[in-house]
Amino acid sequence: MDKVLMLGNEAIARGAWEAGVQVAAAYPGTPSTEIVTGLAGYDGVYAEWSTNEKVAYEVAFGAAMGGARALTAMKSAGASVAADPLISSVYTGVNGGLVVCLAGDPGMASGMTEQDDRYFGRISSMPMLEPADSQECYEYVKLAFDLSEDFDVPVMVRLSIQVAHQKSIVRLDETMSGEETGRPAPERKPPDRKTEKYCLLPRFSRPLHISLLERFERLRRFSEQSAADGVLAFVEPAAGADVAAGADAGSGPAALPLRPAALPLRDGGVARIGVVSAGAAYISAKEALPGASFLKLGMIHPLPIEAIRRFAATVDRLFVVEELEPYLEEQLLAAGIACEGKRWFPQWGELTPVRVGRGFFAAGLDLPRWAQEKAAEDVSVIPRPPVLCTGCPHRGMATAMKKLDLDVHGDIGCYDLTTLPPVSHMHSAVEMGASIPMEQGFTRAGGSETGSIAVIGDSTFLHSGLTGLLNAVHQRTNVTVLIQDNSITAMTGGQTNPGNERTLAGAETKPVDIAAICKALGVEYIEIVDPYDYQACLDALKAGLAFDGPAVLITNRPCMLFPRKVGGAAYVVDEELCNACQQCMKLGCPSLSHTETTWKDRHKVAIDAETCTGCSLCAQLCKPGAIAPATATKAGDA
Amino acid sequence: MSADDKTALAAHAGAAGAARAHYAGGVVDDVMVVGVGGQGVIMAAAIIADTAMLGGLDVKLSETRGMSQRGGSVSSHIRIGETVVAPSISPGEVDYLLAFESAEGLRLAPSLVPGGVAIVNLQQIVPPLASQGEFAYPFDAIERMRAEGAAAGARAAGGEERAAGGEERAAGGEARAAGYGVIAVDGNAVGEAAGSIKVTGVVLVGALSTHLPFAAETWEKAIAANVPASFLEMNLAAFAAGRHVGAAEGGEPA
Repeated sequence: MDKVLMLGNEAIARGAWEAGVQVAAAYPGTPSTEIVTGLAGYDGVYAEWSTNEKVAYEVAFGAAMGGARALTAMKSAGASVAADPLISSVYTGVNGGLVVCLAGDPGMASGMTEQDDRYFGRISSMPMLEPADSQECYEYVKLAFDLSEDFDVPVMVRLSIQVAHQKSIVRLDETMSGEETGRPAPERKPPDRKTEKYCLLPRFSRPLHISLLERFERLRRFSEQSAADGVLAFVEPAAGADVAAGADAGSGPAALPLRPAALPLRDGGVARIGVVSAGAAYISAKEALPGASFLKLGMIHPLPIEAIRRFAATVDRLFVVEELEPYLEEQLLAAGIACEGKRWFPQWGELTPVRVGRGFFAAGLDLPRWAQEKAAEDVSVIPRPPVLCTGCPHRGMATAMKKLDLDVHGDIGCYDLTTLPPVSHMHSAVEMGASIPMEQGFTRAGGSETGSIAVIGDSTFLHSGLTGLLNAVHQRTNVTVLIQDNSITAMTGGQTNPGNERTLAGAETKPVDIAAICKALGVEYIEIVDPYDYQACLDALKAGLAFDGPAVLITNRPCMLFPRKVGGAAYVVDEELCNACQQCMKLGCPSLSHTETTWKDRHKVAIDAETCTGCSLCAQLCKPGAIAPATATKAGDA
Repeated sequence: MSADDKTALAAHAGAAGAARAHYAGGVVDDVMVVGVGGQGVIMAAAIIADTAMLGGLDVKLSETRGMSQRGGSVSSHIRIGETVVAPSISPGEVDYLLAFESAEGLRLAPSLVPGGVAIVNLQQIVPPLASQGEFAYPFDAIERMRAEGAAAGARAAGGEERAAGGEERAAGGEARAAGYGVIAVDGNAVGEAAGSIKVTGVVLVGALSTHLPFAAETWEKAIAANVPASFLEMNLAAFAAGRHVGAAEGGEPA
């Protein structure tokens, strides 16, 4: 049997490929990105980076209608963008299987919020599976395709970052492992041409809602049966000797909970403890309290509520361990199943084993391992947040906007990295596409003394910036917009977008002309700026702000990292000339650092020749002219 | 099968047995790799995890991603055992801390278990924030870790003394085990000698390898699976050099 270590996301890609997925579409977003990156590497899969999550969803949806198995993947915020087709497609149902991978980010390692995505299942009636490790990612996604076709609905595979971004061992299907090209050609179903199924006019959508409720009722029975069979839910420890009262003897493991061992309490008593959990929270709970009896859920919508009820009957205290909202807990309580949850376990952040353990401890369990709070790190050591790379083309404009003291309405991208010191120039960064409409509203409110500006990158502009700019133009609002075009989707690791000459699959394509788009939208003032020219940045900002009407500035230097690392001749500081004025340090460049030498109690500066790319911004800011290309200095020395 | 092959296989089987024996009874080794984005932390972690898998053990790995190339702090957790449940290491339970950068080592040192080992690269990367005067970069990170590791040992020994009711000698003996050990490695210099500072990460993996119960051949297989073929030789040289450093510092190669 082939054993491989895989990220949860890689296991999803592998499982989907084995299940015969033919079309995959997504917009990159941590922690979901590796799913479609992975699928792009398999033969026989059409995979694309779409312009946004709604478009991606609709591409996958159309492929499913067309009879292929299709997949889309997104982060939490992406599901909000795609919510419209996400909800509507459950009404219509599918033809080929449609799987929606939704990766949440409890703890906000990179997300803007830690919304609880499980409610997307409830609001839409879309069934949800939640894997807890890479093996389950691999298995559940295959099952999801079958369920999608069997029940005529899209199926969500809900992930959290702890599952998506952990590596664990996957035992690959022997018939599929070996050569990756060994997949049998997937069979496409005849394409659907069913007006009453796919046209959501009221006369069709009313019966479709009733049909959805019927489909959901069948799913509910499936959920109960699969739990009873121990397929999508299982009880641990598994050996069921003592059949509790009410349990259905003869069914599978989940219907046969053994009488759990009693665990010691801090007050000297004992109690049989049961835990209902799923996904990453289940893993943490099992680490925190290995002696408990667990009902581990794989299908979290619809819930196998009767299986949970039978399990509850075997224990003295039932705990629900789940990240974020009391999603499971409230459904259990509504079904009349007494349980304890958010009273003990935090409603925010990642539920690590220690946080779950502390909760059990607070609930009265005798747990020496979790009795004491332990430090994970020394927070007094200098913080090291991510920063703009050396030579990043965003740095010049950020520094210039700071210099002009503008009110800066940012968006989602690497340029947010200068929100923190030393540059700290940004005043809002909320969600994809927010910059231009927020700048418009801010301007309508009266703007600010020093001027205000929207800042957005190329990928985000093409994702959801166009409509905001169109609105500002149509409303004749005097906005200033800076499009930091670095010709790549950089923040998530260098994915292609319509500004590129190649697609994800490597096919040649025509890069879109962002200036031409702005012109077509009706913008009359458009200036292309070299962001490595600091004075040009200042001048362009001033001119754009002064223009009476919507003005767009577009920077024109590529990302330093993607698609390939950009290098250049390093600069060097002449320590004799350096007067420690600190102007260059305002750039927040990782290649600049203080030396031991001081002048008037201020440290002089040195440039790391290994990492400097020669963007020259520091030289432009240097008042005494102490910074020059290394080669020039060397020549001068000689 | 040649005689050489047979010998190698026997050695491999022997080492595999040693690894199984080490992890029998539920022992889990918690390894944390920390550094600065772009230093190669993720690849080093993949090599360690692959080695454990090739050694027949269960392994789980969790890591910070996304921001990894932007110069921020990064960490990877690797947990090795017969059966591993959680992919992340709980605070205070790190057995081996492999720090690619010394201030990052200092930052995560409190997560070490009593008796844990920190293997710390001498490299110091001063973040831009240090230049603003609000924060000072800890140039003495390794000295502070040594002092803190010994102090933690002394504190634990003090507790031990009270518990043992004055059996001071025995308690003193506990001191070293209860603190944490610090092994400083000039990984960049060793890496450069092996061919390039780009293989520094594999030097550090080599130093760590002397503390884990896997044969050199298993490590080398995992390295081959994670580095480009054209750089394999240089990486294997770096691994051997790192292993040498680890052994000289008290590690016991399996």
